[in-house]
Amino acid sequence: MQRRQVLKVGLGSMAVALTPLSWALPAREEVDWLFSAVDDASGGHFIAGVALDGQARFMIEVPERCHGGCLRPDSRQAVLFARRPGTRMHVIDGDSRQLAHTINAGEGYHFYGHGVFDLSGRYLYVTANRLADSAGLVRVYDAANGYAHVRDMPLEGIGPHELRLMPDGDTLVIGLGGIQTHPDYGRVKLNLDTMAPALVLMDRHSGEILARHAPSHHQLSCRHLDVAADGTVIAGYQFEGPEWETHPLICRLDAAGHFSELALPDEVTASLHHYTASVAFSRVSTNVLVTAPRGNRVLLLDAEQGRLTTSLELPDAAGARCDGNGGFLVSSGQGGLYRVTPDTAAPELLASLAIRWDNHLT
Amino acid sequence: MMAAFRRLGLLACAFLAAPLSFATENTTPREMWHSAVEMQYAELSAASERLETSAARFCQGPDEALRQRLEDDWLSAYQAWQAVRFIQFGPVEQNSRGWQLQFWPDRKNLVGRKVNGWLKAPDAPDAQDIAGDSVAIQGFPALEYLLYDDAMDQQALGEPNACALMQAITTHLADTTSALHRDWQAFGEHYLATADYTETTLASAIQTLEQLEDKRLGEPMGLKGAPANGYLAEAWRSGQTVRLVESSLEGLRTGFLPGLTAQLREAGALPLAEAFRDQLDKTLAQASEQSSGLVSALDDEAAFRGLQSLYLDISQLRHLLGNEIAAELGLVRGFNSSDGD
Repeated sequence: MQRRQVLKVGLGSMAVALTPLSWALPAREEVDWLFSAVDDASGGHFIAGVALDGQARFMIEVPERCHGGCLRPDSRQAVLFARRPGTRMHVIDGDSRQLAHTINAGEGYHFYGHGVFDLSGRYLYVTANRLADSAGLVRVYDAANGYAHVRDMPLEGIGPHELRLMPDGDTLVIGLGGIQTHPDYGRVKLNLDTMAPALVLMDRHSGEILARHAPSHHQLSCRHLDVAADGTVIAGYQFEGPEWETHPLICRLDAAGHFSELALPDEVTASLHHYTASVAFSRVSTNVLVTAPRGNRVLLLDAEQGRLTTSLELPDAAGARCDGNGGFLVSSGQGGLYRVTPDTAAPELLASLAIRWDNHLT
Repeated sequence: MMAAFRRLGLLACAFLAAPLSFATENTTPREMWHSAVEMQYAELSAASERLETSAARFCQGPDEALRQRLEDDWLSAYQAWQAVRFIQFGPVEQNSRGWQLQFWPDRKNLVGRKVNGWLKAPDAPDAQDIAGDSVAIQGFPALEYLLYDDAMDQQALGEPNACALMQAITTHLADTTSALHRDWQAFGEHYLATADYTETTLASAIQTLEQLEDKRLGEPMGLKGAPANGYLAEAWRSGQTVRLVESSLEGLRTGFLPGLTAQLREAGALPLAEAFRDQLDKTLAQASEQSSGLVSALDDEAAFRGLQSLYLDISQLRHLLGNEIAAELGLVRGFNSSDGD
């Protein structure tokens, strides 16, 4: 039996619970519901589906802390992934608001917390670690076939993290963090002096690596990213080197395939505390939002110009996604759900919940 | 020998560059923390060099007196590390140095496996080999295995392979702690100039108390929902678990409390600093009354009750700092910010 827990808040949620979830995919124009990995106040791990007013929600208890997620095109499913070094991914059925499948990474493998579907919603691409040789992989699963494992595509590197599908539908863009960990050693980072992070482009059919761009410092761990409709990629780094140094934390791969790092003012870079979490494009403009939980802030950038638009305080800023209207929804590890738009002076608090949101919104 | 010279040279430079004194009238909390921790890292580095020396002496002519000296120096260097373990940011994070000094907990006995791998290796390792290997072989727990594990009854520590391994590890330890001390000095300018480090330092001390309560005592004692398991305790091989806990508490007394007191005085909340000091002293007294091991207390009702009292005292100390003082100082700890992903 799958363990499931449905929590409803207030009487209002009863009415909302009867209306179907809105799923305009792949980039939902209007967001009604968000999915996120969360912890409750006592440290229990859940996958939450939350309406934007924060009132209606359901929570599915899971055995390990989860991290990122993705929606399955042309379906009512969302998939959420266990946080490194977790071994499960969970398929959520949005209509019944229940767990539909749990897929295990298998003996000798763990996931990194992210995955993405192809445009048809059939194949699911998931970043994983093969423990025997620390090989970073993209594992392929067939959703049309009960999420059967199809094949593995090696990345010739360590520690792949978030990945997205490029607008051509054939290319995956992958943040390769470069950090070696092993469950025997817990969360110890085993190779800080020999890290080789990269932003990688891979043919999703053949597994061929089409491009590999190295950050300007070998301890800039490339983790999270998003892709604009024109194919521009913005990725965020986490710096694993001396915290008294300042290095660029955001890179861009433009639509022509040119790789660069954004030259933000030093004080802006320093305010991020070497750590970025979510990256989200607006999809109706060239604006992109980056969250920085350690810096307690979000940055809004013009991806085309490579310039900072605004930097706003937001405590423990965690997950982010576009709201379909040029703005963004941002979650906080402290429970708040906010809306951030390019023309507001401060994030607008939409709801405050007694949960701790993990780093990503789906 | 080369390594020793290298360390001496760097140390001399570092002393020249160090600020003359922080002991002025208007010393800020961060200045107090930085200089107190600088002394703690200096002591860790010095104690590690003494350990390296006594390992070399023992290996030149193993006898009981030199072995006793070696064990004493191992413990005092390990305790010097515990004292400054409440600093969980800055140079200690570079190259996972904290893990290099102490890989723990070790649920898979990687320490034992690594040590045995090297003992059976055809060529004895030098410090460079140790530096290039896993954190499980680089620190105090690997030395503890060589000094105390039952398996070592079969193999005298004075034998060439065991001695070479021990010396390589002690040299690596001395190198690491010397670099840590030097880097902490260099880190000073950034630490003092960056206001956020006040919160970072407080959060780091809170995390240290949480680890003391939950991981270093609670879990091995079976107080966290799972049965007691002595192998989860630190230093179970030598039976020094409680002495290490005591050293961490003493380290908070000398390295953390003065800066905290100054911080609370600035905030007009000196009574909270006094309450923390009193509870810390009570906890320290409780710790010093316990015998040194945790494993032996699992089968000894009176000893276990003593450790439970210590656990409760640490729990109150953690509550005082993590709830009351943190609230007074407006410290909010992140969910996503504490652990990279």
